Amino acid sequence: MLKYLVILLDDTSTAYCHYEAEIRTPRLLALEDLAKAITFGMKENLRIQFVYPNYSIPREYVELINSIDHTNIKPVCLADADDIAVGKLSDFSQVQSANVVLRTSIPELLSGIEQITNIVFDIERVNLVITDIASMSDSDTCSYREFLKELVGSILQRCKAGERMPQLNILTDRLMLTAMNNCNAGEETIIVAPDGKFYVCPAFYYGGKSNCGSVSDGISIKNPQLYKLDYAPICRKCDAWHCHRCVWLNNVKTLEVNTPGHIQCVISHLERNASRELLAGLRGIGEFLPGTEIPEISYLDPFEKL
Amino acid sequence: MQPYKINPEPWQKGMAKNITFIVTKDCQLACKYCYLVGKNEKERMTWEVAKAAIDYILEYEADFKEESVIWDFIGGEPFLEIELIDKICDYLKTEMYRRNHHWFNSYRFSFSTNGINYDSEKVQKFIKKNKSHLSIGITIDGTQKKHDLNRIWKGVGDKRGSYTDVVRNIPLWLSQFPNAGTKVTISSADIPYIKESVLHLYSLGIHEVNINVVFEDVWKDGDDILFEQQLTELADAIIDGGWYQEYACSFFSETIGKPLNPENDNQNWCGAGKMLAIDAAGNFYPCTRFAAYSLRSKQPIIIGNIQSGIDKDKLRPFLTLDRTTQSPRECIECEVASGCAWCQGENYDAADTPTIFQRSTAICKMHKSRVRANNYYWNKLFRKLELLGERNEFESNKPSVKNNEPC
Repeated sequence: MLKYLVILLDDTSTAYCHYEAEIRTPRLLALEDLAKAITFGMKENLRIQFVYPNYSIPREYVELINSIDHTNIKPVCLADADDIAVGKLSDFSQVQSANVVLRTSIPELLSGIEQITNIVFDIERVNLVITDIASMSDSDTCSYREFLKELVGSILQRCKAGERMPQLNILTDRLMLTAMNNCNAGEETIIVAPDGKFYVCPAFYYGGKSNCGSVSDGISIKNPQLYKLDYAPICRKCDAWHCHRCVWLNNVKTLEVNTPGHIQCVISHLERNASRELLAGLRGIGEFLPGTEIPEISYLDPFEKL
Repeated sequence: MQPYKINPEPWQKGMAKNITFIVTKDCQLACKYCYLVGKNEKERMTWEVAKAAIDYILEYEADFKEESVIWDFIGGEPFLEIELIDKICDYLKTEMYRRNHHWFNSYRFSFSTNGINYDSEKVQKFIKKNKSHLSIGITIDGTQKKHDLNRIWKGVGDKRGSYTDVVRNIPLWLSQFPNAGTKVTISSADIPYIKESVLHLYSLGIHEVNINVVFEDVWKDGDDILFEQQLTELADAIIDGGWYQEYACSFFSETIGKPLNPENDNQNWCGAGKMLAIDAAGNFYPCTRFAAYSLRSKQPIIIGNIQSGIDKDKLRPFLTLDRTTQSPRECIECEVASGCAWCQGENYDAADTPTIFQRSTAICKMHKSRVRANNYYWNKLFRKLELLGERNEFESNKPSVKNNEPC
């Protein structure tokens, strides 16, 4: 069941997940389509999120947006305290937001661990998104394992020194979850692109995939069941519950939206296992989430156990 | 007591790796029901491509763990490329031996041919050379009327069927492969000829008739009723005529028409992904049905090539696909689900999105008709055997056929 409507206000709206916004020329969503999209969201009881470009949008757009309860997703340079701020490592020197999306490639990640640790403790909630998963190699996954190990060590050290427990999606979400909690694009989330059409997620728009309806004609998702967990043979038996389960990356790697590629599974399981180490370390400091267990497993890719 | 024919099980119980060389996309015929929409005379496999494919497959032995292999040759018409095939087979034998590969002495060469140049000198020489490792199926659809309805020569319109060009080679084929079966394909226009066609094939000496309806959505209103009538009449003819003692027809199987447990009977029907097909360009496919020349409306699914090898990510959907995940609710809850087949390639081609996870239900009514006729067949046969006091003997010696091969 749909819960969220994400509206890309412009073709150059900030990319906030694994994809890149490949279009460089600004093109605003037509004001009329924006109004229709908002009305659609209201009638379907959806929580609306607006994604902004890195320039100030016209006043009439702002007025329309403010006519409905919503969340803003903005580039760091424009984000206010209540907005979700999106940027790369070098953007985060003067962030005001309490909730950020940190987009980084593996090379940037590996060279920026100290900065990442500081960001994690400075900002209330950090969602770290790796932007080059699709091209990662096995040696990159080894490096990522080491990165996570070091990050867990740094977090434990600072928690032991009395700092608060941070919120970092790749390490702490798994501790709090009791079931799969994924992106759910196409099932719980749908987007409106600047062409006034619905897409499963922004990556499908920028990647030239078919739309699934328009703000004028409504939503029509073909094979909607394939976006549900029950129809994902690998994921439904997996306990990397924090995994994005990114249907776009799935499609890139395996040509199917419901089947992840090997590297995606390995990345999520390295994070799962690092969460397990973090949990054990936190319990060495004091009582933490009694009753929560992350069992030891012998695989990094659940495909191997099917 | 009457003797009962015991057909052998499929080679290696059907668990061998199937590797298909698409040696040509050309064929002498232009069969009306052929799913190969992109046949042409240009795309012929070169020796260099074939050799590179073999070298890759044998080099990466650990990725091909099956105990045995079926090297399959398909077209178009494979025997149009008999010289290339001969060279490929010689190289395979030499290389499997040289590498001490685990498939050496556990391999077969398999062909599905239209039979037209079966008696040519080159084909016969090849057969003599490789006979102990060969499986050859000649496709003959039944009576001349039925056969010529669909299996016509290319470029000469409806006027020239191929029956006489094929049937003359049947005696030679059966003398070399007495247990060989033929594969019959039924489309809408063929339904009235099913009974006479199967009986005709029996009369030619073909003991095993593997027959299936096409998976494409070609069925018209009333086809299922006519189909059931034909199968019921066929059942009467087989049982009353005593053909069941030595001949088999895959339409009739004791295992079909039962509900399937979503948990325990959840395996995929089709072997796509467990198989490997190579085309003239050196591209790898999960099955020939995913090559461009087989697809009406979708892009091909290429899972690698002879230069870069197999992209294992592209295989993951095929290897994790199960029955219930791809089936609509009506199939999962169907009370006569067993034996209802599907072709993964046709599912993909007919799907609303580019996915292999949407099962086509075009044959639903035809399957249900088959189940009713099948029930009739077994009820009638068992009653006859009981009255003759031959039921127990039949149970221990009954013929078996490869049940409803999907492609």
